[in-house]
Amino acid sequence: MAAAADVTFQRNILIKAAFGSAALIALALAVFLGGHVIAQQIISGLMLGAIYLIVAVAFTLTIGVLNFLNFTIPSLFMLTGMIAWALLKSGLLSFSGSWSWLIALFGGVVVATVASLLVERFTYRYFKAKHGDATEHAIPLVSSLGFLLIFENLVILAFGSESQRFPVPFKADLHLFGLVIGIPQIVSLVSALIVVAALSYVLKQTKIGRALRTIAENPEIASLLGVEVTQVVPVLFLLTGMLCGLAAALFTVNYGDVSPFMGDNIGTKAIAGMVLGGIGSIWGAIIGGLIVGLTETMSVHFLGGDSVEMVIWGLLLIVIIVAPRGLFGHAALGKGKL
Amino acid sequence: MLLEVESLDVRYGRTHAVKALSFGVAQDECITVLGSNGAGKTSLLRALQGLTPSSGGRVIFNGEDITKLSPPQRLRRRLSLVPEGRQIAISLTVHENLQMGAYCRSDSDVARDINGIYERFPNLGARRDMQASVLSGGEQQMLAIGRTLLARPRLIMLDEPSLGLSPLLVERLFELITSLHLEGLAILLVEQNTQMALEVASRGIVMELGRATLTGAAHDLQNNEQLAAAYFGHSSH
Ligand SMILES: Nc1ncnc2c1ncn2[C@@H]1O[C@H](COP(=O)(O)OP(=O)(O)OP(=O)(O)O)[C@@H](O)[C@H]1O
Ligand SMILES: [Mg+2]
Repeated sequence: MAAAADVTFQRNILIKAAFGSAALIALALAVFLGGHVIAQQIISGLMLGAIYLIVAVAFTLTIGVLNFLNFTIPSLFMLTGMIAWALLKSGLLSFSGSWSWLIALFGGVVVATVASLLVERFTYRYFKAKHGDATEHAIPLVSSLGFLLIFENLVILAFGSESQRFPVPFKADLHLFGLVIGIPQIVSLVSALIVVAALSYVLKQTKIGRALRTIAENPEIASLLGVEVTQVVPVLFLLTGMLCGLAAALFTVNYGDVSPFMGDNIGTKAIAGMVLGGIGSIWGAIIGGLIVGLTETMSVHFLGGDSVEMVIWGLLLIVIIVAPRGLFGHAALGKGKL
Repeated sequence: MLLEVESLDVRYGRTHAVKALSFGVAQDECITVLGSNGAGKTSLLRALQGLTPSSGGRVIFNGEDITKLSPPQRLRRRLSLVPEGRQIAISLTVHENLQMGAYCRSDSDVARDINGIYERFPNLGARRDMQASVLSGGEQQMLAIGRTLLARPRLIMLDEPSLGLSPLLVERLFELITSLHLEGLAILLVEQNTQMALEVASRGIVMELGRATLTGAAHDLQNNEQLAAAYFGHSSH
């Protein structure tokens, strides 16, 4: 048995090494052949990937710990942008002068976080209390899909379905080695790095992190050791809301556009990134998000905008066929967890 | 009595796993619950810790009715369970498992107590930063017990701890149980290893199909024919 485990272990490492070096070689080749234009694309890709990876981490946390695909994530993302825009437009924030855009975004994040806690209260906790084991059923999944549609349509009712301009005062670009890098791009990458570092610190080093990992492996063990599982679950939804809000704020600052549908594309790309990296693995979500971002900008550049979905989902299919658990996935998935 | 069980019932749908069971465990007592497969021993312990809901009866611990409390609440009142099949968290390191054992504590002695566990079980100390998945069966059992001790229980319930261990390790395990008992811990031990269990315990309860069919002092049970019958005589299933 140990020998068998060793073989799969080595195979996994080989697959990861193969993917890793293929990606690096592709990047190096691209920069070598395409020079600055490509380097510029890589920077845009990483920036986009930074946003995908934050959302992918939100997905993977809920799946890893609760075994529950939280479909409200795209709508939390969208809520942040639309609420921020509405706050800015309402003139309520005029007292804050040139910082009102930042306060508006902060307000958006708060609303998304509160919405996420509402979802926990009325999908997850409700069904757990009523039926015992919430995840054995598809109910939380379906009801979170319901929340997605409700949030989207509420926003459309209130603000219409057009996309809106969200003005941000970043005029200056940095010029480094002949590359033009927008300040929002740098902010995105740095924030993503900070989020990742903070999350892995919390999961690895803190009491609540150990409790979350124990719940992820086996909620019953966690409960035997004194963890009130029902009290930890809201923490996850809080994190989900904050992560989606942050990602949406970064997106809004980078593109200056918000719409009631802005979450849909991000949501599907983040799911692709999460599956690519291995469901339930934080590092998988990070790498997967970056790969999807890079793949997107590269295929736009080389094959045109219509190719993006084909290339990303094609890549995903190939990875799933070669390594069904994704690049970093682990075995403890698919069980009812709570 | 530290633990008092009053006509406890456990049902899974139409299966009636524990039927109106009553008994008590005193402060310094070691009691063993014996019975063949499917007798309801695990169901009993799980219901006492609150993992499985009971469908009737009461559980009193240290004078307090804990029948409605959650497993963590019972743990904080110093009632603990080492579950069947050890159930350590294999994706955590040995040290992290022990830290989780002290999850319910916020005092400053945790680090010292964890070191105490390493002194008691040197094998665990040597594998401190390894994933718990690399531990042998015996080491996993030590980790499961050590982890539970860190919650500083007054009563520890052990569900078939000797399962799957070599005879030598079973010997050591029972030595450990004896010394825990001598240190003042009350013990409720579920075992299939009848002889060994009756040697460490002062009293025994024999369960058959959810009922306590025989209770008595351990040395009386050791040569009891009815006990043998409980294991081999019935065509209960
Ligand atoms: N989760 C469950 N759902 C339905 N029936 C169950 C469940 N757990 C146990 N049972 C049934 O309850 C009865 C008692 O089982 P239990 O596991 O308590 O016995 P046990 O004495 O611990 O047996 P063993 O010595 O094999 O561990 C059995 O008939 C079993 O099939
Ligand atoms: Mg059992």
